[in-house]
Amino acid sequence: MIKIHNLHKKFNPGTVNEVYALQGVDLDVRDGDFVTIIGTNGSGKSTLLNAVAGAFLPDEGSIVIDNREVTRKPDYARAARIARVFQNPFAGTAPAMSVAENLHIASLRGCKSYPKKGLNATRMQFYREKVAVLEMQLEDRLGDTIGTLSGGQRQALSLLMAVINPPKVLLLDEHTAALDPKSAAQVIKLTKMFIEQGKLTTLMVTHSMQQALELGNRTIMMNKGQIIDDISLTEKKQLTVDELLNKFMQIRKQEQLTPELLAELKQMYA
Amino acid sequence: MELWIGALNLGFLYALMAMGIYITFRIHDFADITVDGSFTSGAAVAAVIIIAGGNPLIALLGAFGVGLLAGATTALIHTKLNINSLLAGILVMTGLYSVNLHIMGRSNIPLLSEVTVFTQIAKFNPGLPQEIWYTIVLTGFIVIGWWLVSLFFKTDLGIAMRVTGNNPMMAGAVGRNVKMLTLLGVALANGLVALSGGLVAQYQGFADIGMGIGTVVIGLASVIIGESIIKSRSVYLRFLSVIIGSVVFRFMIAFALYIGMNPIDLKLLTAIFVLLTLIISKAVAKRPAKRESPRKILNSLRKAIFNRWSAAVVFILILILGGFLLFKSGGSHQKIKIGLVQFTDNGLLDVTRDSFLEEMHRIGYINDKNCRIYVENAHGEIPVLNTIIDKFIRDDVGLILTISTSATQAAINKVKDRPIVFATVANPFIVGAGESDSVHLANVTGVYGGVPMDRTLAIVNRFFPDRLRIGCLWDPSQANVVFNVDNLRQELRNYPQYHFEGAHASNSAEVYQAALSLVNKNIGAFVLPPDNIIYSAFDAIVKAADNRNIPIFISDVERLKDGALLALGYDYTSSGIQAAQMVARILKGTNPAQIPFEKYTKLTIGVNLNVARKIGIEVPQAVLEQATLVIDEKPVTRGEPKRLALFQFSDHSMMEECAKGVLDELKTSGVLEKYNITIERKNAQNEFTLGQSIAQDIVRRKYDFIISLSTPALQIMAQANKKIPHVFGAVTDPYRMGVADSPEKHLPQLTGVATFQPVEEGFKVMREILPRAKRVGMVWNPSEACSEACTIIAREAARKYGFELVEATVTGTSEVMDALNSVLDRGVDIFLTSGDNTVLIAIESVGEVLKKRKIPYFGNTPSDIYRGGLIAVGADYYDVGREVARVMQKVIAGADPKNIPIQDCVPIQIGVNLALAEEIGLELPESFLKRVARVRR
Repeated sequence: MIKIHNLHKKFNPGTVNEVYALQGVDLDVRDGDFVTIIGTNGSGKSTLLNAVAGAFLPDEGSIVIDNREVTRKPDYARAARIARVFQNPFAGTAPAMSVAENLHIASLRGCKSYPKKGLNATRMQFYREKVAVLEMQLEDRLGDTIGTLSGGQRQALSLLMAVINPPKVLLLDEHTAALDPKSAAQVIKLTKMFIEQGKLTTLMVTHSMQQALELGNRTIMMNKGQIIDDISLTEKKQLTVDELLNKFMQIRKQEQLTPELLAELKQMYA
Repeated sequence: MELWIGALNLGFLYALMAMGIYITFRIHDFADITVDGSFTSGAAVAAVIIIAGGNPLIALLGAFGVGLLAGATTALIHTKLNINSLLAGILVMTGLYSVNLHIMGRSNIPLLSEVTVFTQIAKFNPGLPQEIWYTIVLTGFIVIGWWLVSLFFKTDLGIAMRVTGNNPMMAGAVGRNVKMLTLLGVALANGLVALSGGLVAQYQGFADIGMGIGTVVIGLASVIIGESIIKSRSVYLRFLSVIIGSVVFRFMIAFALYIGMNPIDLKLLTAIFVLLTLIISKAVAKRPAKRESPRKILNSLRKAIFNRWSAAVVFILILILGGFLLFKSGGSHQKIKIGLVQFTDNGLLDVTRDSFLEEMHRIGYINDKNCRIYVENAHGEIPVLNTIIDKFIRDDVGLILTISTSATQAAINKVKDRPIVFATVANPFIVGAGESDSVHLANVTGVYGGVPMDRTLAIVNRFFPDRLRIGCLWDPSQANVVFNVDNLRQELRNYPQYHFEGAHASNSAEVYQAALSLVNKNIGAFVLPPDNIIYSAFDAIVKAADNRNIPIFISDVERLKDGALLALGYDYTSSGIQAAQMVARILKGTNPAQIPFEKYTKLTIGVNLNVARKIGIEVPQAVLEQATLVIDEKPVTRGEPKRLALFQFSDHSMMEECAKGVLDELKTSGVLEKYNITIERKNAQNEFTLGQSIAQDIVRRKYDFIISLSTPALQIMAQANKKIPHVFGAVTDPYRMGVADSPEKHLPQLTGVATFQPVEEGFKVMREILPRAKRVGMVWNPSEACSEACTIIAREAARKYGFELVEATVTGTSEVMDALNSVLDRGVDIFLTSGDNTVLIAIESVGEVLKKRKIPYFGNTPSDIYRGGLIAVGADYYDVGREVARVMQKVIAGADPKNIPIQDCVPIQIGVNLALAEEIGLELPESFLKRVARVRR
């Protein structure tokens, strides 16, 4: 489904702020794979997701999605196949517009927007049914602006908006990191449900070791803009958090991981 | 009424523009200032299509189209070249200035006599007043526009555009092409703005290169005002709020005019109002809670106010406002409010009122400046008197001035808590105002005086020493009249040879009959003590007396000319003046209880010799010697007071000079006094929309005459006014302005004076002084219509006198020096500036450069020689003003402007700066110096 080959990206090249974010990433994700991505801050996890989404164009390498070469295509041109949920609940919705309008624009993902009447009674009924699934008491608030919703409500809605018009690929960028534990649990529950129902090919960046191990059929670890480990489902089933940390140790032994980074990883995933 | 209707219409016309601003600033979050240019573009395209004979609706379509293009250009510069939106807007706006000039081919296109949407709409007028009919049609139009635009933003595409503006990242993520949608939005917005421009041009009757300046600010103000009135998420209500904001903005201006605020302060107030609205709406928006409870709003408001920055802003605002009020009231903090009420329209009451107001003005209480004088008139109705006094109390006036006995009576009954000053009351004691001059009600004082009946009878005795039946008419319901009549009877005891005949009239309709009854009793003379009712029907008495040639003796000098033989009475101007001085004392803190009543001080005796001749009575020499006023020969036609509006477009020195000429000529000619005309000056502060409002105000308030100075003033006035006689001046070429085809063929309501700058004369002088000079340099601004016209003539004249013209153009004063240098680099022998305002602003600097290079600097405004010019050959605008006034005199005397041809008046005046001539070593021939009118040594 997703074939990434030798992907490179430098931000602010030639300046003091130069960041070499992706240093030759190769990844092959099969149809229906649910891949969790872990790694330290600045390891390139989010950048990889953004590259797939088309938020920027890579310097080198290629991206093929659903057998289509999309390397040089802008985000809106890929949106027919890709949906995303951002870490920041504010980023994925239009705060000044109503819940219904947000859902409506999301359901137009991959279609053209013509000057024809947008929201009619049938659509409203459809959206009402959809938000009921979220169990966030949004059924009667379709007319309210997103700005009046809580973070958890927004993020659940973002998730719904991502899958309302089922994509080929779902990109989740630490989408529970900014939520309280209760909301986070509800959003994770919904995530599992939507992915299973739609059999969606998914890339999910996470900071939670638990999530990385429990969710998905595959986990990759990133460091310094490269994928340094790829753990399969069978491997994952036997792994505990400690064992995963031991894996980091081994990598350190291969001098790919500095002691500082290891300390940081331990702290993050403890 | 017209003022408000006019404001409503302007509000609707500008609402489209405000909706455009809303789309860019609020929906797309795109600070687009292209609109200052695209508004004019719309007007320009519409005007060009119309003068080419196109359908005015096609013209509007064209306007919309050019706006779309302008907006798309800005958006493309922003999205494709990644240039900041504000900067992109500035670039396009700047470029559009030239484009607009190209579209129009000149800086101003008049549409006065063209077919516009408004002339078309007027055709279907079912008989309503024009502006109201426009309002109805415009309301329909704006409702459709509002509905269409709102509906559009509810479609899939519209929702996508709103998402794009609200969260571009998310819009991209859900597959919206952000750049494309931004382009669409900005284009659509500018399309609406240009459409508005095209409509405004058709409404005001011309397109002008400068009409778009400030559009962004007006639009933003409308948006902000609208948002503060209606807060809603609904797209429909939001666009509605913008329309309301636009109308409210216009109403604010109309209101400021209505209350007679100096237009100079208008912009400052607008700025302050918008700023305050911003602060308040920000405070409210700080908490985007689901539902705003009033307490929450108050809390956040309080927070905002205590926030350091807001506090600083508010503090500065208070300072500005305070200083402003202080300045306006000339030192006193609160405006003094005075209520003035008179009972009827009787002449002597009017005289009292006018002399009071004049004296107040003279001693420094200027209405609408440092005090507010509410002038009311009950028109003879007692209940109205009470309403007026109630209104004064509601207005919280500090003092009430009552003119006439009835008014005084009503006031002292009702008002105990504030001072009352009365004037022109025969006997204040019979209405209970006091017991004696010094013992009286604590809050009441005033000026009074009975009619000196003894002296009247003494004069009557001079005419008729023998037997005489004296007829007297009065209204028995008025206390002071009865008092006067009793007084007369008392005095008659001293003249046993006289017989008294009386008759009553309780309203003016009964006066004629009552007078006839007296005539039938063979009276030999009418002796009429002052009585509002009787005097208001004085003409009826004259008519009744006419057949038998019965002389009339009255006490009101003002009515002498209307057919009385003799008037003896107090001069009621002294009543007004004395009252004003009392008012001033009270305002300065004296307790009215301490001010004794005063009697009038000035007696007047008037004789009408015309009447004497007519009825064959010889006026005794002794009476003539006593008389302070003698009417002889033709009666003075001092008719109803009339008002003349002197409307100028800006404070430009040329216009000031011209206005001075107008005023001087009108004053010295005596026409103002003869016809009882007052002049009110109006100044549009160089702004079209303000000019329009002023013009509408002039029409609304039905001025009797209008003088307009300058071309834009003429255009605006000619559009607003179709009835009031209008004389224009300080106009270069009225034939290009659509008001006239030839001197004889012009709009019926107006005529005037055309003054073309004597450009050719200037070249003649150059040749005379500098026989060997070859090249004449010139810098000019193509957006100035007059300058452009002068340049076209200059090219011709230069050829004729064997010069070569070296030109450079500028668009603003900041470019003048560069343009000057470029011209100088090309080598010139003479430099010329012909009435170009842009260059004239920098004339001192230009003169300095030319002095260093020893190049003679020619101008065409005589006063140029005081500011750096060497020789100025130009029209003397003071003389032009006098000529305008002379045309106005004809109109005032009754000539129809339709029959007065437009005349050319170019009073050539030559000015020379001799000191400068010496400095640059230029010798001037004697023959030339003889013709010089102004010399600076």
